[in-house]
Amino acid sequence: MLRSPRWFPYQLLLPAIVVMLAVVLFPLLYNFYLAFRNMSLYHFTDHRFVGFEQFRTLLTEPALYVLLGKSVAWTVVNVLFHVAVGLFLAVVLAGPVRGRAFYRTLLILPWAMPQYISALTWRGMFNYEYGAVNLILTRLLHLPAVPWLTDPFWAFVAPIIVNIWLGFPFMMVVALGALSAIPHELYEAADLDGANVWHKFRNITWPQILPVLTPAVLLGTIWTFNNMVVIWLVSRGGQPADQTHIMVTYIYKVAFTYYRYSYAAAFSVIVFLILLGFVLLVLRRAAPLEARS
Amino acid sequence: MTAPRRRRLRPLTLMSHALLILFSFATLYPILQIVTVSLRPSDQLYSTSLALVPKGATLRAFYVILFERDFLVWMRNSLLVSFAVTVFGVALASTAGYAFSRYRFPGWTAGLYSFLLTQLFPATMLMLPLYVMMKAVGLLDTFTGLAIAYTATALPFSVWTMRGYYDTIPIELEQAALIDGCGPWSAFTRVTFPLAAPALAITALFSFMNAWSEFLVARVIVNRQALYTLPLGLESLAGQFQTEWANYAAGSLLVCVPVMILFVVLNRWLVSGLALGGVKG
Amino acid sequence: MRRTRRGWLAWGCVVAFLVPGCAPSKSTPKAIVIWEQMDPDERARFEQNLDVFRERHPGIEIRHLPYDTEQLRNQFQTAAAAGGGPQLVFGPSDQVGPLSLLRLIKPLDTTLPAGFFERFIPAALDTLDGHLWAAPDQVGNHLVLCFNKALVKKAPEGSNEFIALARKLTTPARGGQPSHYGFALNATEPYWLIPFFTGFGGWVMDGRREPTLDTPAMVQALSYLRDLNYKYAVMPRESDYQVAETLFKEGQAAMIVNGPWSWSGYRKAGIDLGIAPIFKMPNGQWARPMTASKGYSINTNVRKDELPLVIELVTFLTSPEAQLRSATELGILPSHRAAYRDSAILNDPFLRISQEAFEKGRRMPVVPEMRVLWDTMRPSLQNVMNGARAPEAAAEEMQRTSVQQLADMKK
Repeated sequence: MLRSPRWFPYQLLLPAIVVMLAVVLFPLLYNFYLAFRNMSLYHFTDHRFVGFEQFRTLLTEPALYVLLGKSVAWTVVNVLFHVAVGLFLAVVLAGPVRGRAFYRTLLILPWAMPQYISALTWRGMFNYEYGAVNLILTRLLHLPAVPWLTDPFWAFVAPIIVNIWLGFPFMMVVALGALSAIPHELYEAADLDGANVWHKFRNITWPQILPVLTPAVLLGTIWTFNNMVVIWLVSRGGQPADQTHIMVTYIYKVAFTYYRYSYAAAFSVIVFLILLGFVLLVLRRAAPLEARS
Repeated sequence: MTAPRRRRLRPLTLMSHALLILFSFATLYPILQIVTVSLRPSDQLYSTSLALVPKGATLRAFYVILFERDFLVWMRNSLLVSFAVTVFGVALASTAGYAFSRYRFPGWTAGLYSFLLTQLFPATMLMLPLYVMMKAVGLLDTFTGLAIAYTATALPFSVWTMRGYYDTIPIELEQAALIDGCGPWSAFTRVTFPLAAPALAITALFSFMNAWSEFLVARVIVNRQALYTLPLGLESLAGQFQTEWANYAAGSLLVCVPVMILFVVLNRWLVSGLALGGVKG
Repeated sequence: MRRTRRGWLAWGCVVAFLVPGCAPSKSTPKAIVIWEQMDPDERARFEQNLDVFRERHPGIEIRHLPYDTEQLRNQFQTAAAAGGGPQLVFGPSDQVGPLSLLRLIKPLDTTLPAGFFERFIPAALDTLDGHLWAAPDQVGNHLVLCFNKALVKKAPEGSNEFIALARKLTTPARGGQPSHYGFALNATEPYWLIPFFTGFGGWVMDGRREPTLDTPAMVQALSYLRDLNYKYAVMPRESDYQVAETLFKEGQAAMIVNGPWSWSGYRKAGIDLGIAPIFKMPNGQWARPMTASKGYSINTNVRKDELPLVIELVTFLTSPEAQLRSATELGILPSHRAAYRDSAILNDPFLRISQEAFEKGRRMPVVPEMRVLWDTMRPSLQNVMNGARAPEAAAEEMQRTSVQQLADMKK
């Protein structure tokens, strides 16, 4: 640790903390307040304190656990692929590959494109009869066509594919930056020892990029869990038959279709607590904050 | 990058190339579909034809979006807000991240955690109170309001990433600088800050994109067409059933251009590993 | 320590840069803001009308902001609940359901001058809780049978005739040729189910606003659509709005059920478009689409001193002059009595058919319960079209979930 005047670190921190508190604190507290009341279409101005009533209703609803399962599946699959694909591409493109600058720029396109049109274009590509995906499957690979948008299972897979497509460039960029922090000397020493590619990745690359990658993966998980835009657009609000929902799309629906504001706020608090548990678990066990100090 | 090493990687290089081409195809194909929509004369998002150049292809949509819609105004607004967010985001995150990496102080853990905690709540529910708050302080319909909100949403990731990257930079360099009589501020700005270029590039790109493509918050804060950012402007082309799809697609493609330029510029810093290697040697 | 002080100074500069933006924005008097949900063509006419009004009232700033239907309601709710928002909000008649219940718009029968509403045709006026909440600018939203005149000479009138024609026009994919369908329909949205449901004699709710979905009429309607898809196979298996529209625009579907908003797009795509009321169901009754008006509601936060000008603007925008502007090009039916019977409308053969179809329709309830019914009908309809549910089970499911959701909503 560095030694310096006692106030120096606070001075470095203050602006960031002030901006965060100014923007986030009130909206958060307001939702916690709302979760303990009964604000709805019929009690919009005359809502009152109801204690844990909303939570009680919520936790006794079987649908909650189904949605939680789907949220977890959605998040795990997405993040796994984001990291795997992003990391793979970064490792390849950090090496001596011809045209790497070109590839790097090209592969960032899904991040740059507005999500609305990408998601709807993908939806078109998933059409049973006319979509490009099924045409490739049937004509090129001679596989059976997949009912991407009407079968509950595939209708859940489709937005996951879209979200993987949208999300890997971000991980790739983060990993590229992280890789550049590794001194070449380490690889040269490993080369002298005759280490193979996998060993070098396992023993040099991975531990070296972990400090930079951890926040990206941690936050990537949280964002994916709370990302409703992609699944909402690709499934057109939960199609088929409201089966393609995760917790956050359901919250959106409850709040804006049924006007059950307090219920939606209580639901959001539960999401908050689930993610809080996840964050604590990761930071206590898998990637302790003080790992390198 | 010595010659013998490259030779040993040969079969692997071939495979990498094959995979790169595959990924590029998967990346590019949906984008090409959007290009097709922008060229189609009849405002259709979908088609039963797989032809990439549609029947009666025309560049008219690009002309319309640029000169008959307020696209250039939206572009200017978005650039303004995004650059402000980039500058503020990088400034605040590089300092805060540095404090977390190099110092231990009362509230260290709580501070680091609290940045994460703000990201845990589903965003849709935060919009109503955000509006109430922005209205109360008179920041509705201002770029300042937008820039502050975006900076706040970009900070948690940026602070954590900066901290993680600083952690990989050997602390001995600054200790030496301090012993040589440097103040803590110049030890930071002269020694560590320049070495963190890749992380700064990540933070800059992330902050920029965060503001560039954001819709939900913008929709709540901005209620004047003159102040529309690109996502709001594009949204205004979409009706419930009728949407100007060709214009929308053309606009979306144009939206990518500044991002790509920024990325090409930042690329130099993103992979500037040499800087660190040099110092360490 | 000196360095530390310089650090504070630097942050002081940042704050100083931000502060000027923090001054409360001045509220400009004499500015009217309208948030609207319009299709692009409709918006062009609206802008022409605003220009005329601006010319007559120099010095008054009028701004409008486009939204899509859902965004409009959500944003207006947020803004008006916080004491802000535009003076006027323009949208479909059913948005007054929640907005009036939330007390975010003014009751217009007591706000506007006495007798104001007598100028409109009765089908344009929707009363809710004893009040009128919107000044209608148009009527319609009625689904009709659209057909490609190059493929269909005369619109079918009866169900048998329709099915025979649709089967004749359906050809499976062969060689490089894509398949052609006799019919296409947005089979994912219950709005497109309603005409068939009412044709078989059903209706969505009773006089006490209780859902009435588990009825023989619903079972028959669902069976009918399912048979079009599976038994007669005259429509694409996966048929949502975009797919149906694409097929019709590319000449690969001969007939489609769609509303007035879609017609200009079909013509632009080069389709020789004909319209007709949707054919009769096997029981001999016409399929009856839902109809709705669109209109202006006044924000509850509008100040007394602004009100006269706001009323004047609403009066102008709903006048025959404004309603008849490009009425024949856009195919929008006016709500004003004089305009509805204007010769420009009556002499236009296309609009006459549209009026005829409109008059066969039934008005959509504007009560907030309707939103729940849409939402609970949707999954069951999709399940039937996917083959995942039998019509009987789906009808039962709709009723059950509606009752449940309504109870939850009113909790």
